[in-house]
Formats: sequence, C-alpha cells, structure tokens
Amino acid sequence: MAALDKTPSGAARADNTEPILSVRDLRTQFFTSDGVVRAVDGVSFDLHRSETLCIVGESGCGKSVTALSILGLIPREIGRVVGGSIRFDGMELTKLDEGEMRRIRGNRISMIFQEPMSSLNPVYTVGFQIAETLRIHQGLSNKAAAERAIEMLALVRIADARRRAGEYPHQLSGGMRQRVMIAIALACNPQVLIADEPTTALDVTIQAQILELMVELKERLGTAIVLITHDLGVVAEVAERVIVMYAGRTAEEATVSELLDNPQHPYTRGLIGSIPRRSTPGARKTTRTRLQEIRGIVPSLREEIPGCAFAPRCSIATERCTSQRPPLETHGPRHSAACWETAPSSALTATSPRS
Amino acid sequence: MAIVAEPLPAPASTRQQSGTMRWVRRHKTIVVGLVILAALFIVAVAAPWLAGDPLQFEPTNRLKKPSGEFWFGTDQFGRDVYSRVVHGARISLIVGLCVAALATFLGLVIGVLCGYYRRIDGIVMRFMDGMMSIPAILLAIALITLMKASLFIVIVAITIPEIPRVVRLVRSVVLSVRARPFIDAAIASGTRNSVIMIRHILPNTAAPLIVQATYVCASAILTEAGLSFLGAGTPPEIPSWGNVISLGRTFFQIAPWIIFFPGLCLAITVLAINLVGDGLRDMLDPRIARRM
Amino acid sequence: MSAPGTPSPSADVVLEVKDLKKHFPIRKGLFSSVVGHVQAVDGVSFSIRRGEALCLVGESGCGKSTVARTIARLEEPTAGSIVLNGTDISALGEGEIRPYRRQMQMIFQDPYSSLNPRLTAGEIVSEPLTNFGLAMGSDLQARVASLFERVGLRADAMAKYPHEFSGGQRQRLGIARALAVSPQLILADEPLSALDVSVQAQVLNLLIDLQDELQLGYLFVSHDLAVVEHIGHRIAVMYLGRIVEIADNASLFDTPLHPYTEALLAAAPVPEVQRTKRERIILTGDVPSPSAPPSGCRFHTRCPYVRPECSRIDPPLVEVAPGHHVACLLRPGPSAGHAAP
Repeated sequence: MAALDKTPSGAARADNTEPILSVRDLRTQFFTSDGVVRAVDGVSFDLHRSETLCIVGESGCGKSVTALSILGLIPREIGRVVGGSIRFDGMELTKLDEGEMRRIRGNRISMIFQEPMSSLNPVYTVGFQIAETLRIHQGLSNKAAAERAIEMLALVRIADARRRAGEYPHQLSGGMRQRVMIAIALACNPQVLIADEPTTALDVTIQAQILELMVELKERLGTAIVLITHDLGVVAEVAERVIVMYAGRTAEEATVSELLDNPQHPYTRGLIGSIPRRSTPGARKTTRTRLQEIRGIVPSLREEIPGCAFAPRCSIATERCTSQRPPLETHGPRHSAACWETAPSSALTATSPRS
Repeated sequence: MAIVAEPLPAPASTRQQSGTMRWVRRHKTIVVGLVILAALFIVAVAAPWLAGDPLQFEPTNRLKKPSGEFWFGTDQFGRDVYSRVVHGARISLIVGLCVAALATFLGLVIGVLCGYYRRIDGIVMRFMDGMMSIPAILLAIALITLMKASLFIVIVAITIPEIPRVVRLVRSVVLSVRARPFIDAAIASGTRNSVIMIRHILPNTAAPLIVQATYVCASAILTEAGLSFLGAGTPPEIPSWGNVISLGRTFFQIAPWIIFFPGLCLAITVLAINLVGDGLRDMLDPRIARRM
Repeated sequence: MSAPGTPSPSADVVLEVKDLKKHFPIRKGLFSSVVGHVQAVDGVSFSIRRGEALCLVGESGCGKSTVARTIARLEEPTAGSIVLNGTDISALGEGEIRPYRRQMQMIFQDPYSSLNPRLTAGEIVSEPLTNFGLAMGSDLQARVASLFERVGLRADAMAKYPHEFSGGQRQRLGIARALAVSPQLILADEPLSALDVSVQAQVLNLLIDLQDELQLGYLFVSHDLAVVEHIGHRIAVMYLGRIVEIADNASLFDTPLHPYTEALLAAAPVPEVQRTKRERIILTGDVPSPSAPPSGCRFHTRCPYVRPECSRIDPPLVEVAPGHHVACLLRPGPSAGHAAP
C-alpha cells in the first residue's frame, strides 16, 4: 500500500486522465500444506477508460489470480490478497466488504471466463440468466429485464435473439455460449470487463468472431477491457497495451507495437521467438528450421525468489540478476521492463543479444 | 491489509516429528477408530486369559447385577456376561473380517471382468441387480435354514448378499479408469489385456475398495448380530453378541445389563470401523485430499 | 490410381489409408437402439512416406483425432483400409494387431492423463520394450536410460513419478515411450496443445530433430496452423469428417484453394503488429453437427462463395495441380476430372 508512488507503472502514459482501475504492488498468496505460494508478487498497472489491456503469460504466471484478486474472488479458505492496493473509480477495493464487492461485481466490473459452459447455469434459460443480472443490479422489473435481455442477445449478434433467449445453455454451441457470457457481462454496462482466456476453448474461426465482437462492443460502449491470454496472436489482434507476467511479477509493459517490435525483457524476447511464424508468401524457407527455445522450466512459487525470477533460464543473466530483484524501468515512452541487463542505465545494453 | 495468519514452516530438524503429528491431527477419525479396533482385537485374541469360561452354569449366581466379581453381571443361567461379551468379540471380528475379505475378493474379480469385458457385463450385472433386490438378511436366513448352522455357513450367508455392492463399485471404477488416456496409451504400445488389467487398472481400485471393505465389515458384524438375535445365526453354544442379546431380551426389565453391555460393544465396534472407513475415504480420495 | 497427395507411389510408403470411415452409433432409449450415426470420419484417403510429416488440421469435431485413433486401432474402422508397411491392418483382430503396434506408436494430447500416475517414469518408458520382449534386466535399464537422454531427460529421473515432472517433461516421457520400440510411424494427436508456448517450442524442436534423425513418418494432428506450417511437409485440411484440401506445405499456405482453408488461414491470429487492417474472411455461423452433415458440399452452409449447385453436388477431391487436391466445385483447376477415389 505504501508503494503508490514508487512503481513507475502506467508506462509513462501520454494522456493524463485518471485511470478507471489502478493496481499497485498487488500481492496475492495461497496457503497450502506445503507452504506459501506467491501467486502474484508485486504487480502494478493502470487501466484507462475504453482501453484494452492484455495480460500475457504462461500457465501459473499469476495472470488469472490477478483478475480474481481485483474482483475479490480469491477463495478465502486457501488464499488472500496480502498487500498492495486496487483502486477502482475512487474506491479502494481491497477495503470493501463482501456485500459492497457484490454490488460492484457483475455490475461495474464484469468478468468472462474461459469455459462458458461452467459459468452458465444449465437449468435456466439464457434469457433468464441475463435478465437476472439486470434485476439484481439495476432493479429492473421482470418484464423490462426480459426485454433488455433480448436486446443484449441481439447486441452480441445472436441471430433470432427472441427465440434463443428461451433456450438452455446446452442447446447453444460453444461460440454462442461465449456470446451469451459477453451479453451477461455487458448487461449492466460495466466500466471494466475482465476477460480470462475468453477464446481459448474455441476454434479459430469462432475465436475470430468473438474477438471482433469484443473490439466492436468496446468501441461502442466505451468499456475498458482487461484481456488475459497466453496467445500473443490474440494480443496482436486486440490489445492496445500489454503486460507480460512471469512468475507472479511484471516482466514488461508496453504498447502492443512496441512490445512485438522492440521487446526488451529476455523473457518477452524468448516468448516471441518460440512461436512458430507463418512465413510470408515468396519468402518461404525450403527446409524446416528449429524454433528458439527458452531452456529450463518456470520456477516454483513456493520459494522466495530474491533476484529476477527469470534469471535461471536467462542467457544474459549475471550475478546481480540472481541476487537483486530488478525494478520496472522505463525504456521509452509507454514502455518499461524489469531487467538489469537490458535497462537503459545498464552499460551492457549495447552488447545485449538480438535486437 | 490482512496479515498472514499461517504459522511459519517448521525448521528442518523437527520436520519429521511434526509431520507425523500433523498426520495424526489431520486424520483424527482414523486414529480414534484404529485405537478402539486394536483394543478390541487384543481382547478377542486374549479372551481365554482375560475372562473365565463363558459357558459355565452357576445357578446360584443367576441374574446378578454388575459388581466387582461379575463386571457386567450374570444372565439367567448364572453365566458371566463379561466373559460372554469378551468371547463374543471373537465371533464378531472373525465374521466381520472374513466377510469383508471374501466379499471384497470375489467382488473385485467379478467387477474387474465385468468392467473390462463388456460382453459378459450385461448378463452378470443383471444377475447382480437381481441379487440386490432381495433383502440381505432374508437371503441369509434362507441359506442358513437350508443348511446346518455353523460359523462357516453364517459367514457364507452374509458374504453372498454383500458381493453385488462390491461388484458395482469395482465395475464403475474400472469403467472410469478404462476411459482414461493412459489405458489408450498402454493399448497403443502393445500391452496385453491381462497386463493392462493387473498393472494399470487394479491398483486404481485399491483405494475405493479398502473403504468399501470397512463398510462391508461393519455391516457384516451387524448382520451376524441380527441373525443370531433371530436365532438363525451363530449356534447357541458359541457366545456371540447377537445371541447374548437375544437370550437377555426376556429379562430386559429386571436385568438390563445382559443386553446393555453386548449392545454397547456392538455399537462401539461398528462406530470405530465406520470412523476408520470415513477417515480412509477422506484420505484416499484425491478430490477431498487436494482441498487440504 | 494413387491416393490423393501421393506424388509418386514408391516403396518407402509407411502408411496408406484409403477411404477410411468411422461412424459412431447414436443410441437412445431403454434398449439402446441405434437412432443415427455420427459420421466422425467419412471417407479419408492419404499416404505417408518415410521421413515425411503429414499434418491433419481442422477445427474441433472435424474428425482429425478420430483418424489418428482409428489408424492406431483404438477405434474400430467402419470401412476402408489402413495399409501399414504393406499389410492391411484394418480388419485384424485384437490379438492379431499386437505385433503391428511395434511399427506405429502414438503420442497423446494430454501429457498429464496419458501417463499412469502410479508407475515411475522408467516403468512407463520400459513398458513397450517388455511388451514385445525386446529387452530385459540391465539391458532394459540401459535402453530406457538412452531413450531418456535422447528426449532430453536426465537418466536419473527414471525413478520419479509423472507428477514430479513439468508438462513439457511429461510430453518428453510420452515421446520416449513412443520411440522405445523403434517404430516407423508416429501418430501424434495434438501433442503440443496442452503445453505452454515456450515449452511447445522445445517439444516441436525435439519432434523435428527426431524425425530428421530417424526418418520417421509422422501423422501430426493439430488445430494450430502456425505449428502445422512449421513441421508439416504436406498438409491435409479436414472439415466435418472429410479432407477438403491436401497439398504440400508451400502450395497450401501460398495458394490455398478451398474457401475453408482460406478462412482458417485468415482467422488464425498472428503475433505481429498489424500496420494495416488485415483483410480477413470471418466465417459466420458454427460447424454443423456431424450426425446430420449438410447435403452437397459440407461447407456450403458457411461458405462465403456459395452457389446454388453447392447444396446438391458433393464435390470430389480433385487434383488441380501436381500433388494439390481440393474438393470444391468452384476450383475445377487444370486437371479436372481426375477425381480421386
């Protein structure tokens, strides 16, 4: 909580408007019989109105836990937000009680999950489930809520919305269920929509439909989106700003073009290098090439990592990397990375491999 | 912000000891159940040394209240109830363990075959369904009346109605294990059916089977007591908790201790077995175990 | 007439699949009467040569995994032939098939559930060797150790259990198990899709190295076009149980001919900065149910170029350029009429 001014997050934004959501030095831990798991270990970011921010990382990097922490959905028996602040529209979310959180959740901050089937109730029609959100949060009458539910289904471009509203989740395809989830999430016109791997369970052609829909609705409704994904392809498609997470920490934060064209953190570079690329017609390689690998495996979050979490796998790591945790340093306008070796202040910048 | 309430992990030197203590604390039910059962087992084995002859008539001592001489009192023939209860523990344990072992073994064999070979599955399972629709105690009474009463017949009669329940359990476990990809992987790498069954499927049935065996054991002890109470069970010359209660029921109003002590032992024994069963289920079920 | 996608039939063909069908009965009611069939695979033909990677791509439910599982005889084929090194294994009984399993091995999608959690890593990898009596005792240990090293695992990890390994290491175990009996054909069913991006690269590199070194034939099933483009020599695109296009890597990615292939390529997100708004075809609607596939061309319900005759005529797979077969009425191509079987 004391870290409010220390962290240079927001990556030196160009605009000076007040962020709608501001996370500072968030730390979330789980308490297991084998010890404390530091799932989120000091993450900070700002989200502005009608902005799309992507959080990228591999499984276990803390991206989903970050989202659950914001919404106060960490199961109390096993984990807790142990430090930091989450400010939303002038409120400190970490200080709210469950009742106050419930009024915000699904109303002013909504969330959609990877598997739509498990978040929809199989015994109610989809129209009823959208209407229920409206009745609870907006106090609409049954009739008005039902009408608005049909409007929402039409908004997420479900054909024949009136008939579909009377159907049960199992009667819909995966892509349509995810549209319903989006309709539920946007029903109360939230200021922030958190989407946790919303297209991972879907096929590419359906994924393209859903991503296009999300971008379009964001522009129309002005909702700020936090999109959590492991897929840099999805990031390139929809993001404006990107946070790369590794082992519960922010590795790099930049605009999407900066990140993909000029990655600074060795982990980001490795991640981008390890994706098989579609070659451009004409420039086709005749023999198969090997991909760039990130050697080793992700560290256990049960032990305290004193230095850079990526150091054991990093090809340019030095002694300092294993002993001192690198701060998030500014690399340019709206670009920061937590790396000792590639930081502008480091003398080694010029000799760092790969540009 | 909230502060971590969890105690710090113990230093390495005391970890071994604290590990055992933690296990005991986490599985209290198993520990309590096992302690009671161990005591009962010792009593059953050492019965001849712990108590006198359970069959010795002593007409002068009829219907004596519990006292220093006769801890649990005496019955209408002047026999020592304490001695009869101690010896009855043997019968209960023998019946419980034998039935559990027999029913589990037979149920396992039939269940694995049914789960793996779908061809025999339909016929065998319909037969099992038929057996399950007959009340266990009636089936046992019918079997016993057909043959001369002996401990062996009692065990067989109680075992048969228990088998279908074990078969159902084993079969459902085998079916769910069969659907798991590592069975496909074993088939694809050329593993023989017999090896798949013994190596890949059988070990997965162990945990639910052990739990089920405890329930079968408890249920067998109760059924034996019930049969003996009805006079269809253990022959009267062998004291068992069931026939002690049966004989004592006519004197319930003037000598309640004849029924009270064997009844109490029966209840505690069944409770202890079920405690162990529940504890094992919680310990062995990964879904519950993962929830720490 | 050769199977589509076989440029020249030669002796080094490891696998030849002709008109393979797999229909799953839909049962309903008290007496489980068959009320219909899911046509998971409905007439698929292709061949794979030594050292060649044939990739099957398509969306979920298109039948690509069923093709691999049917070839591995984990499913009974409904019709068609599966010729493995010259022997048709499609009709062999459960016991008769066993010796042929030495020639083909499978790598599974989920490295967590495809390893028996109760066996050690060493036991898992040695199982195929003992199954065929290929090694015993210390010889077995030595061979397993060398397999471990070959897939990039430490030999002293043999005593560990699967849960002690990471996802990528487990998939390496799965690969070691598949390699143990020196097969000529590897059926890989989405081997990367359960892995993290950086680990995918490690496993993909390993698979490519192994193929080049051991001249293995790969049937590589995947939904990820970028992966397919990286590893595949030839690519077959599947839609609703059929191959709609099959071609070598360059032809398929440079000049996709089937509208569905085109849409798949356009829909796959690319991790590159988009300086210009990408021209993209976004397919409308969902994949129809394989239990009631559309009449005529199965893609006509979603095709952006659909014509009236598409709903009547079922287009055959036609060779339009050397080695490039497509099943679309709109692409007659130069050698029209050379319909594949």
